[in-house]
Amino acid sequence: MSLLKANNIHKRFQGVVALEGVNFELKSGEVHALLGANGAGKSTLIKIVSGYHAADEGEILVNEVKIPFNDPKASHKAGIATIHQEHNLIPHMSVVDNVMLGQWIGRYGVVSEEECRKKALNAINRVVPGLDLDLYGHQLTPAEGQLVEIARALSEEAKILIMDEPTTSLSPREIERLFNVMRDLKSQGIGIIFVSHWLEEIFEICDCVTVFRDGRYVGSEDIKNLDENTIIRMMVNTDVPELSPQKRNPGKEILKVRNLCKDGVLQNISFDLHEGEILTIGGLVGAGRTELARCIFGVDDYDSGEVLIDNIPIPKNSPRAAVKVGIGFVPEDRKGQGLARNLTVRENFTLSLLDKVTHLGFISKTSELDISNEQSAALKVKAPSMEANIMTLSGGNAQKVVIGRWLARKPRVLILDEPTKGVDVGAKAEIHRLIGEFAESGMAVLLITSEMPEVLLLSDRVLVMREGRISGKLNRSEVSPESVISFATAEEVVY
Amino acid sequence: MNSKSKTGFIQILRSFGRKFSDLQGLLIAILVLGTVLSILSDNFLTGNNIVNILYQATIVAVVALGQTFVILVGGIDLSVGSLIALSSVLSVGLTVNNGLPPWLGITITLILGIIFGLAHGLAVTKLRMPSLIVTLASLSLASGLAYVYSEGQNIIPVPEVFETIGNAQFFGGQIPVFIPFALVLIIISYITLTKTRFGRQIYAVGGNQMASRLAGIPSNRVIVIAFVISGLSAAVGGLMMTARLQSGSPIIGSGMELTVIAAVVIGGTSLFGGQGNVIGTVLGVLLLTMASNAIVLLSIPPNYDKVFTGLVIAIAAALDIYRQGKNTTNMSRLKRSSSGKEVAKNSNPKTEQNNSNVS
Repeated sequence: MSLLKANNIHKRFQGVVALEGVNFELKSGEVHALLGANGAGKSTLIKIVSGYHAADEGEILVNEVKIPFNDPKASHKAGIATIHQEHNLIPHMSVVDNVMLGQWIGRYGVVSEEECRKKALNAINRVVPGLDLDLYGHQLTPAEGQLVEIARALSEEAKILIMDEPTTSLSPREIERLFNVMRDLKSQGIGIIFVSHWLEEIFEICDCVTVFRDGRYVGSEDIKNLDENTIIRMMVNTDVPELSPQKRNPGKEILKVRNLCKDGVLQNISFDLHEGEILTIGGLVGAGRTELARCIFGVDDYDSGEVLIDNIPIPKNSPRAAVKVGIGFVPEDRKGQGLARNLTVRENFTLSLLDKVTHLGFISKTSELDISNEQSAALKVKAPSMEANIMTLSGGNAQKVVIGRWLARKPRVLILDEPTKGVDVGAKAEIHRLIGEFAESGMAVLLITSEMPEVLLLSDRVLVMREGRISGKLNRSEVSPESVISFATAEEVVY
Repeated sequence: MNSKSKTGFIQILRSFGRKFSDLQGLLIAILVLGTVLSILSDNFLTGNNIVNILYQATIVAVVALGQTFVILVGGIDLSVGSLIALSSVLSVGLTVNNGLPPWLGITITLILGIIFGLAHGLAVTKLRMPSLIVTLASLSLASGLAYVYSEGQNIIPVPEVFETIGNAQFFGGQIPVFIPFALVLIIISYITLTKTRFGRQIYAVGGNQMASRLAGIPSNRVIVIAFVISGLSAAVGGLMMTARLQSGSPIIGSGMELTVIAAVVIGGTSLFGGQGNVIGTVLGVLLLTMASNAIVLLSIPPNYDKVFTGLVIAIAAALDIYRQGKNTTNMSRLKRSSSGKEVAKNSNPKTEQNNSNVS
């Protein structure tokens, strides 16, 4: 009999489809992997099951009984406990209180410390024996915090445990301990939904796999009948555009990154970037790609390694120095880091060019307009006027303003972090064309993107990152959705 | 396990020590100020003066208790000063102007405090308005209503019951009734916060509202009740003020919200919620009252009162930051060790399990 069943779940967020009729079934005593690339809808389903979101359509059944949506308490009562990605401990409460959160035992509203302690100790002993019950939530390591949350679930006699990427911040030893706890729970008949990007973990701990893709249900299968290739093929969209035929002729090396390390973020990153080449960095969100870009550009510090332009090292931690040697950086978070809200289009164009438009300490509006108009024409920015508020522009046009700001400096290396995020289809195509033109004009482009079509369309070469390392280097002929995903998620590569 | 009672005792001592270790700085500040005052003035360490300080502290303490609940859930209540004024004029006026029996006037006044608190709580939880703005509106609204109702005049004479309460003394006329009354409220608040399920919910919601909600705690209800407690305690404070001054006045309590909030924050309750306790609040009130008392004892011109209070708040806050800075150093030590683990994780879990330098 199935423990948990989700039937035909639909969910939209402000018109954007997150889930489109997905199904899921969990049996008791199994660890069931929920897989999918970023944005596949895994987290959304989990949040619906745990009562955090309401679904627009569909039903959730626990032991064949329907549970109400958007009612965390009802989900708890039904025996569902969720270990969310972000830690859900109360920082200034003891382990006892965190285990007993919301379930404190007592009479007439008075909490009985002794009974709470007893029950908490019981639960803690099942998952992390020997943990000091008087430590505060904020004093625990991520691994301990997670185990405390599992203990909480056990103390509530949860039958269904949902774990959303529980291994992300754990060491191998801690992962092993977690898996042992999971096997133990499994043998007690508890059903576990396990979300992870790492295929080797899936093969180690899971009995069954369900794959989502772009908010749709792809299929469920017993792990015995699966291998990595099959799972990867289920995860990636097969109808992506063909490789575009045109080929650029990269020139000499311009940017060299050598053994870049940053504690806990980047490990020994080395690569070269040539003039007139588009080098794409693929991988999952959180693999360290943005951090790498920020280190190269000098926004963030790194521990060791070198970044060289024309074989001359550039000082770290100094965006100014990076700009001086000809690096431009279009950040991922356009609204947060790219645009100065409520300033005009003109002012946003010249935000990083103030040295070029300043004469005797005063900003010359004429030179500002010259630059803005020139870039605006070159990039075909659609703006009511140069004096319009930047926030009135569409995402694509605003992005062009951020790009244009750098083009005015004629950079030799341009780093673009998710340049088409939140941009409509038309503007996306234009930005793709522009990036191609930059490379053809001899600029070296370092492109970070999570969108597979973009990787296929633009890349001359691809670096795939995983957990702060470069896990794969692909030439143009080797680039395919399968190869990128497998380097991004799996340890051994078959292709 | 063989010495269960012994470990139990040690645990109680440990948790007690830890619960109040944050207050060491404040206690030291109080002791230092007390020592300085007793050296500078012969009148400080007299029974009379100490009773006087406690008496002055009671009203601020009662209102600050309510404020502690609100700040613990991560909110703030700026309306309390104005609510004191409104309840002062209403409690007297409903009897004097409108002819209601005093008990009814007082009951209506208390209910009004509850209604204000309820409105704040609902606006914060249902309309998702920041409590700073909601209660800032009430600050103006309640004060305005007090002026409208009283036409800007003090309402006198107060009904007899206020005179009785205001003059009631304990222990052969040594201790004003306010002192034991405040003490009772302090104990009730202390027990509520430390011993009851509701108290745990307050800390949980203030510490991590999302986690609490997902754990099935009715976080909205907890927040609303915290605001109701604050509104009610402000109304009670207004009644006490009226009894002390023997007049229903629209100007009393004005600006008192700042003293109250300062006392709570000096007392170690975090403005982010989830951390703090009533004992700290009481000590904070005592420190501020002693500061005011010093002005009188040292014959400093009364105009310096606020300057002095401001300095005391600034010093207490600086001590607090210093103390938290020490905490953060502890935490970053923990963080560093955990990020070390992350590095270990970045290597292949299967092949490098021997990489086990983590404890």
